[in-house]
Amino acid sequence: MPKWGMAADLDTCTGCGACVTACHAENNISTVGPDQAARGRAKHWIRVERYWEGTFPDVRVKFRPVMCQQCDQAPCEPVCPTYASHHTENGLNAQVYNRCIGTRYCANACPYNARFFDFFNPSWDKPLHLQLNPDVSLREVGVMEKCTFCVQRIKAATSAAKAEDRPIEDGDVTTACAQACPANALVFGDLNDPESRVSRLARSARGTRLLEDLGTQPNVTYLSRQTV
Amino acid sequence: MQAAGVAPEDITVLTAYPMEWFAFFRRDAQSRMWWIACLGGLIGLASASALLWVAETSWPMNVGGLPVFAWWPNLIIMFELTMLGAILATVVTLAVTARLGRRTRLYDPAVADGQILVGVEHPSNELLPAVTRALEVPVGADVKRL
Amino acid sequence: MSAAHQQVTHDLLRPLFHTTWRFFLLVAVFGTIVVFGLSAWATQAYNGFGVTGITWPVFWGSYVTSFVFWIGISHAGTLISAILRLVDAGWRRPVTRCAEAITAFALMIGAMFPIIHLGRLWLAFWLAPYPNDRFLWPNFRSPLVWDFFAINTYLAGSVLFLFLPMIPDFATVRDRSTGFRRRVYGLLALGWRGSPKQWHRLETAMSIMAVAIIPVAVSVHTIVSFDFSMAPVPMWQSTIFGPYFVAGAIFSGIAGLIIAMEAIRRFLHLQAYLLPIHFDNLGKLLLLMALLWGYFVFNERLVTYYGNQPSEMAVFWRTQRESFAPLYWTMVTGNFVLPLILLGIRRFRTIGGCVIASLGVVMGMWLERFLIIVPSLGHKYLPYSHGSYEPRPIEFVVAGSTFAAMTLLYVIFAKLVPIISIWELKAGASGEAGHS
Repeated sequence: MPKWGMAADLDTCTGCGACVTACHAENNISTVGPDQAARGRAKHWIRVERYWEGTFPDVRVKFRPVMCQQCDQAPCEPVCPTYASHHTENGLNAQVYNRCIGTRYCANACPYNARFFDFFNPSWDKPLHLQLNPDVSLREVGVMEKCTFCVQRIKAATSAAKAEDRPIEDGDVTTACAQACPANALVFGDLNDPESRVSRLARSARGTRLLEDLGTQPNVTYLSRQTV
Repeated sequence: MQAAGVAPEDITVLTAYPMEWFAFFRRDAQSRMWWIACLGGLIGLASASALLWVAETSWPMNVGGLPVFAWWPNLIIMFELTMLGAILATVVTLAVTARLGRRTRLYDPAVADGQILVGVEHPSNELLPAVTRALEVPVGADVKRL
Repeated sequence: MSAAHQQVTHDLLRPLFHTTWRFFLLVAVFGTIVVFGLSAWATQAYNGFGVTGITWPVFWGSYVTSFVFWIGISHAGTLISAILRLVDAGWRRPVTRCAEAITAFALMIGAMFPIIHLGRLWLAFWLAPYPNDRFLWPNFRSPLVWDFFAINTYLAGSVLFLFLPMIPDFATVRDRSTGFRRRVYGLLALGWRGSPKQWHRLETAMSIMAVAIIPVAVSVHTIVSFDFSMAPVPMWQSTIFGPYFVAGAIFSGIAGLIIAMEAIRRFLHLQAYLLPIHFDNLGKLLLLMALLWGYFVFNERLVTYYGNQPSEMAVFWRTQRESFAPLYWTMVTGNFVLPLILLGIRRFRTIGGCVIASLGVVMGMWLERFLIIVPSLGHKYLPYSHGSYEPRPIEFVVAGSTFAAMTLLYVIFAKLVPIISIWELKAGASGEAGHS
């Protein structure tokens, strides 16, 4: 049974935002338009957080791609009254859109603010409506959505491996964001496989986890920047 | 009245408000209502436990690493349903023992004005004169046949 | 004695039998506002939740504030009435029914808000544990499900607690009316006659209900506070929230009761029954709760300040002296300074003083819940995701119309039911006479 995880190398991340675009395309995330985005209602399942350190002119910029951390002890799960948010056997923090009634409690409980709400029914500017991914369901108004670690790709790869009667191997499946990352800063894989790339990165001395002190046990490892 | 030969349980007394300081009012003061309320609470507790057991074993889902049968949250549900059971049992007992919802028998709207109604339901013919005489004794009494 | 009783019955039944133009005016005005609010809600349901000001990352706003507020208001009635019944405080008699009615109506309104604030309100029934072919049940580990059970228990208990002592009064109305009204009240009176057995059973039932409803009331607002304290949000995760919320609920509830009593006294001309002593007693209770509330706030603030956790301190300073400071200090004025002056100094503790202090408390307690919810959610851990929230007009319409709904329900209730319990008042008066 794999346990899916990710590693993000902050040293190589250039903050280009390719992951954000790829995620939107892969997961049928509707765009909300400039007005709603200005009010903070943009839905970026993965976002690149930018932080500036120091005072001008001695300024350093830091990038940090943040997506759902797929916590082992996720605060968003127990608060959901309908089990729309729950944990799967392979360590994913699942969100069942059809079961969601929109209390938005999970979004409040999430310390990473990685959950997004559909304030209106989804719409796409033409011709974007022609590029929807048939493997991903559309979310109607009033439900929460968030990064799924591209669960549709995981399912497809698992089925393919099963059809060939072999265990799923490292590299069989990757997420849209990791695939799109030009700097290879994002690495996706099975944390239960000690030889996988993500496992080795997760054990790295540079590895930290976001807001680890809250006890959420995230499955995303951030490799801190080496001081230059 | 009792001297006239009417058994105490046949005498009907109706008042507009409780009058604890009259002897007749102490009748029927004993009741098992508290015990029935406790029983209702136990039924509520049992149904809460059953509900939780069925619900949590039919889909033993992992949420945030909490145990499937989590005691602390379940205690809350159990407490609420226990109290609900006690309250409903009390109300049902009240309705049954106070014979609410039955068709009105001996009654006079003057009770609502503060009069005290003292009477006998369906007195047998031989008792009737004695009852009437006994009821006429207090000053200001108004004997009616309803 | 009998003449006095006739007078009591006459006075208290007058609003039921004599309808003035003022009743129709009140119903028309408040009914219009309620219809306006309902249409605003329908607009929101039709267009999507986006018409409100809620936004990432502040996913709860004025609706949840109003939810906690109304559930808080509901704590006046049944809880206070139950306590006063248990200690057999004689002065409670004219007060209990108006208080219990507040509970029933405030709970109904409060319980609407979780549904109003749902993203998909047409699926709200999924919160209920009903048998279904896939054995899908609600998640009993979610505080919202605890809410569902607690509020429904409390609502059922409060409505029954309100209804039981009304039965003898319904019988009185039945005996005094004719025609259609007589049949309706006859049905409501459930064949009440007033035999000693019935009185004993009713009084025993009321004692049991009083004992049962007090822990339920305390549990309800504790569980409402769990909605916040169970989530890892700065300034929410606090062990003090349970008692703090219960105290705040009773506090705002008493304030609501004082305002309602004054309105009843004026509109129904019951100056002979709701006396300055009642306001004085409730004013003292309000003062006590103001001190208790101040004590809890002091605890909450001091412990946070001393603990000095960065994420909590950010929220702390936001309310104490940054963007939310004006609201915060308005709240402290309304909840603490104003009641202390108006109720602590005997000269100001008149009916007018009590009502002004109560208005301050009601406003302050709404702000208190707002200040617990919004600054924390807008200022969680990652600085990138800090944000803010401002209610939109539609939220003001919906939240404001619930005040109209409360008034409307109360006006209609006072029209249909003697707002002061006739038999309890008589029993109280005769009890004193009988013992002396």
